[in-house]
Amino acid sequence: MIQLSIVVENRLGLHARAAAKLVQLASRYGSDIYLAREGYQQAINAKSILGVLMLAASKGTHLVVSISGPDEVDAGEAVGGLFAAKFGEES
Amino acid sequence: MNGTTAEMVFHGNGISHGVALGSALKLDSYNRVILKTLLDDNLVEDEVSRFQLAIRTSKEQLEGLKQQLAEKVGAEHGFILDVHILMLEDDSLMDHIIAIIRGQHANAEWAVRQATDRIMEAYKSLDDEYFRERVSDIENVVERILLNLRGDHPVPWAPLPQDLIVVAHDFNPSAFATMDLQKVRALALESGGRTSHTAIIARSLRLPAVMEIKGFLPLVATGDTLLVNGDEGELVLNPSEERLKRLGPRLEQSKLGVPELAASQDSAAVTEDGVHISLQANTEMPHEVMAAKRCGAEGIGLFRSEFLFFAHPQGFPSMGEQLETYQMLAREMFPYPVAIRTLDAGGDKTWARTAPSLEPNPSMGLRGIRLSLRTKQHFSAQIEAILRASASGKLEIVLPMVSTVEELWEAKKLIEEVRLSIRLEGGQVPAPVPVGAMIEVPAAVLTLDRLAREVDFLCVGTNDLIQYLLAVDRDNPHVAHLFQPLHPSILQCLRRIAETATNLKKPVRICGEMSCNPFFAVLFLGMGYDQLSMNPRFIPETRQVVRSVTVRAARKIVDEAVTFTTAAEIAEFLIAEVSRLVKLDLSSFEKELRSSGAISGDTPTPGSSALAE
Repeated sequence: MIQLSIVVENRLGLHARAAAKLVQLASRYGSDIYLAREGYQQAINAKSILGVLMLAASKGTHLVVSISGPDEVDAGEAVGGLFAAKFGEES
Repeated sequence: MNGTTAEMVFHGNGISHGVALGSALKLDSYNRVILKTLLDDNLVEDEVSRFQLAIRTSKEQLEGLKQQLAEKVGAEHGFILDVHILMLEDDSLMDHIIAIIRGQHANAEWAVRQATDRIMEAYKSLDDEYFRERVSDIENVVERILLNLRGDHPVPWAPLPQDLIVVAHDFNPSAFATMDLQKVRALALESGGRTSHTAIIARSLRLPAVMEIKGFLPLVATGDTLLVNGDEGELVLNPSEERLKRLGPRLEQSKLGVPELAASQDSAAVTEDGVHISLQANTEMPHEVMAAKRCGAEGIGLFRSEFLFFAHPQGFPSMGEQLETYQMLAREMFPYPVAIRTLDAGGDKTWARTAPSLEPNPSMGLRGIRLSLRTKQHFSAQIEAILRASASGKLEIVLPMVSTVEELWEAKKLIEEVRLSIRLEGGQVPAPVPVGAMIEVPAAVLTLDRLAREVDFLCVGTNDLIQYLLAVDRDNPHVAHLFQPLHPSILQCLRRIAETATNLKKPVRICGEMSCNPFFAVLFLGMGYDQLSMNPRFIPETRQVVRSVTVRAARKIVDEAVTFTTAAEIAEFLIAEVSRLVKLDLSSFEKELRSSGAISGDTPTPGSSALAE
């Protein structure tokens, strides 16, 4: 299992457009991908749009991403990359 | 059921008289009732498949919309549809819904509502406004799924109990067409206005109704015991024993429907100075013809044919179906006439086939005769049915929303063409049927001398005339208080119509809500009208009023009423004068006169929600 610590850095946070991108990306991998607010037990499935939006993660939110499965390394890179690129919204 | 059984009282606007007790039936925003039905074991997997098909269909629709949106405004705006599509692909939701279907043997609609209601509740508790508002996206998707599930499973009315009180935010008049009216006892709505079409229909069906009740919906669930008091504008959840005992006699009376005064139908509606006033009935539903006869109506002055059409959401009723209804009306009312108003869809009478929602300003749009002249095939079918049915009695054709002479020419030409094309059983063509025009657009009032020459009679539609003259949308709560039937301009118009019609020797009839109120009836008599068509329920009272006044006295009242400056002054004058003449208890009508905004010192307060006791 891989764990990533991530800070939401794009201006709008995990709003609808970013959430959709995350769910679409996560759904491409066979691994289980879960998100939780740092310090909270409750994790949500990154492949569930209703779950991701329910996180209500605005800019500056600290998240923990847990990935486990056959393609966990690739998935981790991809998810980390999406957050780092601020979902391609800001140049 | 809500957990508590404590009595709670909510206040609104009583728009249709009567008191009714029953169990709540809550409708959603599309006037759908979502009930749980228990499926047989062998049907559960079919239900799962039906649900999955609805999901696939919904997804295909959204993909299509996304493509269209991309072509029109660019792919980057399609993301919100991506969110909706992803919700349909969200396994946690889909699995939950399927688990409810399988686990509870429940219908798919119920399972969808159950599962998504819970999620929406969770979203509503979020602190961040943006994420909280995603509830509207979820609702959007839910509506689409339910829409795609619909059709196979219409609302099952049969298993519902008797004595239902329909509760909803809003109620589309066309929803009456799909209800089992034998079971519905009353309406309680959050929105509405006293002259909305829903209100008019409620009154004509003698369903007690209270509208503009704030804040009650979340507290009422299907199955709760409700008391609707249309006289007082009250809705009572879990009414106490004492309250029911107190209301006992009135509860019984409203079940009878037609008030006792109906017994006086033997006496004719003749004024003290010997003028016969023809009191006729406005009806919408074919079966109401019985109520009209019971009340002693001298004809049906206005049969609103929309309901034949509303009952056909998938298409237009055939000529044959219409023929049957019109024949029945003609036979039942004979020797009195029945005036059939041709389809008046549009405006607030929304109806699927006409797609009025696509019009930015439907009441100024394609409605009434305008629509009929655009859909001549259907118009001809209706005309043919009326002409054929006229062999069974006396029928008349009334054309709604006329604003130009050309419309009358075109309609009359079509009516004559249809008539000549018909061969009745004996081989002869039907006799011509009198054709009248609804006078409800100000332009028609101003050019009445030209329009009247083209028709056999006139009908005044007071509701629309007031709306168009005063530029007040009667369903808009912000301006509903400006809907003043006694505005001096209305009196001038009504007087002018009566004068022009008298000069041209054209019969003229008042067909709006106004004729239900005895105070207004006295005004009409004084202006020279001798035909009033109204909700049959009000005929017995109006007959009493007619019998206790003289036209001479009524004329004097009109002469003075038109000199006042405001609706409030006219209302006060009218209340004083009419109460002196008529020795009947008119307090409920007096209340209506005040609450319709005519008296400025007593403007209706927006339905305050007081939780009493």
